[in-house]
Amino acid sequence: MNATIKRIAINVGFGYSPGLNTVISGAVLAANELGWEVVGIRDGFEGLLFRDRYPDRGLVLLTPELVETLDPSSNILGTAVRNDPFHVRIINAESLVEEVDRSDHLLKTLQAEGIDAVISVVGTQGLSILYKLHRKGLNTICIPRSVENDIATTALSFGFNSTLSFVTELLDRAKQAAQSARQVGVVEVLGEHSGWLALQAGIAVCADAVLIPEIPYDLQKVATKLQDKFRTGRSHGLVIVAEGALSVDKEAVVASANPLKASLSPLATDYQGSHVIQRSGHAAQTVALQLQRLINQETYPLVLGDWVKGGAPTAVDRQLGLSYGAGAVRALHAGQTGVMVNFQPPNLSFVPLMEAINKIRIVPADSEFVQIARSLGICLGG
Amino acid sequence: MTNSSTNQTGLVLNIQHFCTHDGPGIRTTVFLKGCSLRCKWCSNPESIHPKPELAYNISKCIGKKQCGLCLKPPCSEGAFYVLEGEDDRIRINWDLASDCGQDCVDLCPTGALYLFGQAMTVEQVLDEVEQDSSFYRESGGGMTLSGGECQLQPDFSAALLQEAHQRGFNTAIETAFNVPWSHVEKVLPHVDVVLHDHKLTDPERHKKWCGVDNRQILANMKRAYETFPDKTFIARTPLIPGVNDDEDHIRSVLAFIRPYHNVIDYELLPYHRFGESKYGFLGRVYELKDFTSPLPESVQRLRSIIDEAFGRSSPLEQTHELKP
Repeated sequence: MNATIKRIAINVGFGYSPGLNTVISGAVLAANELGWEVVGIRDGFEGLLFRDRYPDRGLVLLTPELVETLDPSSNILGTAVRNDPFHVRIINAESLVEEVDRSDHLLKTLQAEGIDAVISVVGTQGLSILYKLHRKGLNTICIPRSVENDIATTALSFGFNSTLSFVTELLDRAKQAAQSARQVGVVEVLGEHSGWLALQAGIAVCADAVLIPEIPYDLQKVATKLQDKFRTGRSHGLVIVAEGALSVDKEAVVASANPLKASLSPLATDYQGSHVIQRSGHAAQTVALQLQRLINQETYPLVLGDWVKGGAPTAVDRQLGLSYGAGAVRALHAGQTGVMVNFQPPNLSFVPLMEAINKIRIVPADSEFVQIARSLGICLGG
Repeated sequence: MTNSSTNQTGLVLNIQHFCTHDGPGIRTTVFLKGCSLRCKWCSNPESIHPKPELAYNISKCIGKKQCGLCLKPPCSEGAFYVLEGEDDRIRINWDLASDCGQDCVDLCPTGALYLFGQAMTVEQVLDEVEQDSSFYRESGGGMTLSGGECQLQPDFSAALLQEAHQRGFNTAIETAFNVPWSHVEKVLPHVDVVLHDHKLTDPERHKKWCGVDNRQILANMKRAYETFPDKTFIARTPLIPGVNDDEDHIRSVLAFIRPYHNVIDYELLPYHRFGESKYGFLGRVYELKDFTSPLPESVQRLRSIIDEAFGRSSPLEQTHELKP
């Protein structure tokens, strides 16, 4: 396939993370070296699905000169709220709302534009949609993006390191606030299915406890750990809780959980049950309230929500973004398609999309990070 | 009624017995599948898409070791999967399972996989509705068509309502009126009571929250009020905090309906979240997860405005639940 490539496209799936422009730059610079032209599709696939909405017909020419001027923390292409060409919501001629399959239309448009392949920067859902498009004939390379680092097969998803750094900085501040107020701060961080962000940030700030989805928590253990510290004269505490963390107490789980996302959640254990996010802040509120009943100290919940995904990328993510972008071009040049770029330090490789979907990268019980946390005296609640 | 009418087939979501909030008396409500709006607060998400739809209840799954039938053909590759670990129950990749239908459901021995929506004839529906007929006589009730949007299946709805009339049942529909007028013309002649939504007044805000503007809706309402003066209309607003729970909206609806004497009431249906779990069964995300029900005193305040407009001195006790 590589001998025939002249023009490729790049787009960004639903959601955002720091430094998306670095991925775009990496792809543009690498493609330029091969003499390929790169265009960006605006707002996921919407630029090509609703071309009339865009003055530039939904495609923007990406040149090395242009990418030199891009702010690394931004995303020149934008994203879509929905990014599924198989279920595109439209208003038909009779003013009725309906969802239609526009995947054929999308593939024809790409062909008409002379686009030989598409590089997509996507999260877990985007991988499945791109896999579906690949099965219909789209040449595609996916780049994993997840601030929770929960995409399987790759060791490090793009965006995670920047978010980790920012969360760590905020936790430092939360710790100082807790110290000053002589209270126990319970801080909720992103992590519906996996606790990498909570665990690694918790280690970085030497939190008193870290509660993650992979290890059901017993708050009595957390309370005991805090009480031990209070007896030595400490008057504050810091507990990090991932939003998908759950209690070992089944009744508490049922009482607190909302069935809303149960069947959506790959880790759900029943339709009413665990690993279900009630709402942003629910995990922190639940833990803060229950913990306060168990210890002789005030607690307060704090929520670091989606906004930690914004901001400037770290050096690691800038380097990773450029590498992923260039790696995707390398994959196309090597004749690959229907694969995800996979980073297993120090190597970049490519895995078929089928191997990347339907899996979650969770924190194993014997993970080195779990061992480190325990060694540092951080209570994991279980 | 001809055989061809009673043989008419529609896509039925559910038949619910002993309903007390869908028109006068005790009623049997027939929910049809398919809707032409996408209200973000919809409490019946299973009614939206106009075709049978896969749903999944993981608590009924017995796992790969004991079953695992859905992991093999003819089910699509990757549509069903099992995570690593001790729990071997099936997970669904909803993006890849979107084409799954009856074939996949038939494979599932425990009913964990099921379909929302089944084709039924007018005769089949009415045979079930008829079981409650003694309650209609006692209470002044009857059959209500709801949805989804029941007027999206105009021929089936018309045949169903007509046959219900012939069997002596009072008929009602719940509608948002976002359909071509040709549908309304077919359906309304066979309806006694029309319960219809005024969700938002402003066209652009209506588009944001319900997926399309309300121009067709308002035009249909006016035309319906005028074309069918003998029908009873009851306006309704699903009261969504921060969306339409303001006096301006209530007063603008009142201004819209009060010139018409056949619009006999205006009801408020406070927002609730009872439908959330169904989003999970369908693999969809409920967009209003941080919304809460309006405060009772706010609802009462708005109801008093309506009472005043209708010349009622004391507040009505209204405890109706939100319907889509």
